[in-house]
Amino acid sequence: MVAMDARAAVKRARLSIRRKRLRGLAIAAPFVLPGFALACVFTLYPTLFNIRVSLSSYHIVQRSMTWVGLENFTELFTDRGGRISLAIRNNFLYAIVTTPFILLFGLVFAVMINSLKRFRVFFRTCFYLPVITSWVIVGNVFAYMFNPGGAGLVNYALVDILGIMEDYVPWLQRTWTANAVIWILGIWKNIGWSMIVYLAGLQGVPADLYEASGIEGAGRARQFISITAPMLKNTTFYVLVNMIIGSFGVFVQVLMLTGGNPRGTTSVLQYLLYDKSFNLFEFGQGAAIGVITAILVLITTIVMNRVFRTEGGRVE
Amino acid sequence: MNRRAGRLVFMLTLITSTFVFIVPFLFMVGNSFEEFSYVLPNPPRLLPSRVSFAAYSHVLSQSDLPRSALNSVIITSAATLFTALIASLSAYGFARIDFWGREPLFRVYLAALMIPGFLGIIPQFLVLQSMGASSSGLIGTKAGLVLLYVGAGVCGNTFFLRGYMQALPKELEEAVLIDGGGHMTTFLRVMLPLALPSIGTLAIFCLQGTWEEFFSAKVILGGVQKNITLPVMIQSLKGAHLTRWEWIFAASILAQIPMIILFGFFQKRFVVAGIAEGAVKG
Repeated sequence: MVAMDARAAVKRARLSIRRKRLRGLAIAAPFVLPGFALACVFTLYPTLFNIRVSLSSYHIVQRSMTWVGLENFTELFTDRGGRISLAIRNNFLYAIVTTPFILLFGLVFAVMINSLKRFRVFFRTCFYLPVITSWVIVGNVFAYMFNPGGAGLVNYALVDILGIMEDYVPWLQRTWTANAVIWILGIWKNIGWSMIVYLAGLQGVPADLYEASGIEGAGRARQFISITAPMLKNTTFYVLVNMIIGSFGVFVQVLMLTGGNPRGTTSVLQYLLYDKSFNLFEFGQGAAIGVITAILVLITTIVMNRVFRTEGGRVE
Repeated sequence: MNRRAGRLVFMLTLITSTFVFIVPFLFMVGNSFEEFSYVLPNPPRLLPSRVSFAAYSHVLSQSDLPRSALNSVIITSAATLFTALIASLSAYGFARIDFWGREPLFRVYLAALMIPGFLGIIPQFLVLQSMGASSSGLIGTKAGLVLLYVGAGVCGNTFFLRGYMQALPKELEEAVLIDGGGHMTTFLRVMLPLALPSIGTLAIFCLQGTWEEFFSAKVILGGVQKNITLPVMIQSLKGAHLTRWEWIFAASILAQIPMIILFGFFQKRFVVAGIAEGAVKG
């Protein structure tokens, strides 16, 4: 009798827990469910389904998928042009070359603008202009400026005005000059973003620190090294991570400037994904490139966290 | 005296670097006023030889630019509106309602943030293809692209707004709850007004990001000329044989004006303040 009661009580308690949970879920549903449904359909499911597609041969017309195992991956890596390795190399080079310049110039311009008393809005807008301009537009402008002949502004400036070079350079037709133009465009477009984030970070540096050190006779440079730079450590980490992860999404520059030419030596992962999927309709290989990129991003993130957490101390 | 000289050098450095920095824009504006000729102006000019509005009147008289501008306006405003609505609802859910499974679900959202957006494009394409009645589904439709933008941004935007909402004091809401109001009343009467600055920041970044987005727009709408957005239209202006640069530049400048106005107005209130609050401290 007592045992029965206890069992019934446990049962009732369980039921009431379940009922409470359900009630909680019912209360939360109108808030969380619309977003959750969309996230499932357009973020979570695609991420998993992408892995499935990468292991299949997908036929766009019949809309059928056949399991092929790792064939897409082996095909990508044994391709005679070696396009995937070139693309991976170019993504890493882009990250390594552009990030330091973006950090440095962003910081320098932020500190300069921050020390102004007037015209702040004007200078901030000038440097932010590339950020709010579409990649397609700035890609076009750079394609024109780096025109191979004397009509290109850069050739004209370097050869005819400054006389630094003897001959016009066909910038976008050669591997390394073309890559350099892609990097320059990336640096130029992102400096404004880094500057804005640094400006925001600078607002968080207490002014009395400068006053106190000024009384003690510290100069501008000294103040920068001992106060500003350490206070901006978190900001720097934030910009760094965003720029490096963002480097795996380089696409429009390549599409507008080189199309991956000559012979895939300026191609990047996202361009290759686009080309394979929507020009050649090799969805399986396209999805495989997506999986490879995701793995690279994951490894890079882990490595960055290791390196900068131990060196930089507390980084959130 | 020394100080004044230093100040002068400083200002000169700043002005010179700003000038070099915006040369591409000056070049674009200058060349949009050029008259057409079969060869590119050689030597190149920063300032046009004469000011001609021919390129502007041409791109405005063609149907492509006005139509894709209208498409961009519709897609951008719909995506921003739904993004702000859905993100603030779910941010409220995660910040203020204690429901079963909340923490693990939020961790799934965070994990999804690690994956760069474009990687899902093939499944997203296939999902949109399978929706709707016609054989191509929502591919090539504005609704499809809006759905994609809103859905792909949910995790990040929820994360962004949740941070703000958690930081807001709870006392006001408790008063509403004691008065017998439910969570929906609290959300509409208390949370929305208080969180408005952060929702504004979110909306501005969403507007700007959607306005300039190219990759998904190209993949989803690229085949249907009447629905393409401005970036896709401008990209298609670059011809295989002869490129009318003055048309491209004129169209580009017209496409960019709304964003410049937007940021001119809101940069202090939402952009700088928003980044300071959310990104750097958070």
